[in-house]
Amino acid sequence: MENAAAAGSSPTVPSSGPSSSGPVWRFLIKPRWLGWHVLMVVSFWGMLWLGDWQFHRALAGNGLSWAYTFEWPLFSGFAVVFWAKTIRDEFRIRRGEMPDPSAAAEDLDELPFGIQQVQVSPVQHGPIQSGMGEPEDEELRTYNAYLARLNAEVKHHGRWHGLRS
Amino acid sequence: MNAAVLRYRVMAYVTGVVLIVLCFVGIPLQVAGKPAVANDVGVVHGILYIIYLVNAWILARKLRLANKPTVLMLLAGTVPIMTFIVERWITRRFIDPALAEQARPAQPVSP
Repeated sequence: MENAAAAGSSPTVPSSGPSSSGPVWRFLIKPRWLGWHVLMVVSFWGMLWLGDWQFHRALAGNGLSWAYTFEWPLFSGFAVVFWAKTIRDEFRIRRGEMPDPSAAAEDLDELPFGIQQVQVSPVQHGPIQSGMGEPEDEELRTYNAYLARLNAEVKHHGRWHGLRS
Repeated sequence: MNAAVLRYRVMAYVTGVVLIVLCFVGIPLQVAGKPAVANDVGVVHGILYIIYLVNAWILARKLRLANKPTVLMLLAGTVPIMTFIVERWITRRFIDPALAEQARPAQPVSP
């Protein structure tokens, strides 16, 4: 939990890092991810097909269709780019590297030092309860209660930023 | 982070309003035989949605959203009224906690 690493320096493994053995890319063939791959492939080709359809409508004389002729392929491209970046990020997270050097550098201007690595998830596993009963100071109690509430809120969703499976 | 949130919110509301105009004004007029509004607003929404997509995606990455909320966030721009609902939801569930975390730096609560 002690997020000692200053942003962008040492590649410490965050708590959301590799949770199972085996090569890092294994997560790509988990059922959940396979489902996402299928969705992305279908939407990629689907949007290209829609673009092609609009192209033919445009050729047939529907002037409005020209806009959509270019729009659909653009969305297709977005899908590919977004997907590629998502997977790249996932690899980085699982390897324990910083998610994105450029974004991190950008964040550094706005955030106090090293905050990107603060994660809610590790706190949820126990210290909350032990902290609750003790005569902690008011501020810490409030914060713990806040974390507990967040934990309860996201528990059934199983996901949180920084907590990926 | 704050700038990304602002950009996302602005685009969510602008895109949402335009989509509502398209669906609840443009489409009825089109059905009534006056397609001009639907055509123009449709193209405008198409362009706005592209901008919305980019900004929503940037925010989603900053928040480190998982895939599902990200996709919901991106698709919200195509469903009437949904941008408003999703914006509330994203704010309550992800943006507010992230900002709170940001405002309250590293206080490990470990015993």
